[in-house]
Amino acid sequence: MDQADIELRNATYALFVELGRVPTLEETGVAVGATASEVEAGWQRLHEAHALVLDLPRAAIRMANPFSAVPTPFRVHAGGRDWYANCAWDAFGICVVLEFDGHIETSCPDCGEEIRVGVRDNRPDDESLLFHCLVPAVHWWDDIVFT
Amino acid sequence: MNLFRSEEHIERWLDGREPGGTIPVAKLAELAEEWWGDRLAPDWRPHTFAQNQAILDGLGLTGDFWRLG
Repeated sequence: MDQADIELRNATYALFVELGRVPTLEETGVAVGATASEVEAGWQRLHEAHALVLDLPRAAIRMANPFSAVPTPFRVHAGGRDWYANCAWDAFGICVVLEFDGHIETSCPDCGEEIRVGVRDNRPDDESLLFHCLVPAVHWWDDIVFT
Repeated sequence: MNLFRSEEHIERWLDGREPGGTIPVAKLAELAEEWWGDRLAPDWRPHTFAQNQAILDGLGLTGDFWRLG
C-alpha cells in the first residue's frame, strides 16, 4: 500500500465519521484532490489490501471496519449518533475509534432476546456475556461478510 | 461473531456445528481496543500479519483457532 492509498484510506475514514455515512466517490475525490474514477480505482486497491471492503461488483463501500455501511444486527450509539458495526467485535471497536462511551444493541442469535451493553472507557457494563467466533482466524478473510 | 447470554445458548445455536472460539465479553473489549485503537490515527499504517498475531497472542488468544496463518 503506497502513501497515496494510505491518504485515500485515511480521508475515506475521516469522511465516514464526519458524515455518519459512507462518502461518495465525488466527496472523497474533493477531499484528496482526485477524480471519482481515481478514487474508485484506489478503493479497489484498498479492498484488495483488506483496508476496506467493497460491495462488489459495485464500487460501493460495504465495510470501513469497524463501521458497516449497511444496517446490521449490531447497532452502536456513541458520540450522539447511531452506527452499525459488522459484528460484536467491531461494535466495541466503534467506541474505541470514536473515543466515546456508548452502548451496543444486538440480540442473542439463539433465543432472539435483546442484548444491550453499555460501554464505559471501552469496557462492557455486563461482563456475563460471551463472544463466540465461528470461523477460525486463518479463514476470516475468505468471506469477510460471513465472518 | 456474536454475543450470547451463556454457553448453553451458544451450544443450542451451533446445533451440532463445530464450535469456534468463545471468550468473555470483557476479553473481547480488550481485543477491540488493541485491534482498532489506531484506526483513525492520522499516522495510521496497515497492521502487519505479525502485529495482528501479536495482539491475539498478547491477550492469550492462542491455539490453532486464533492463528492467522
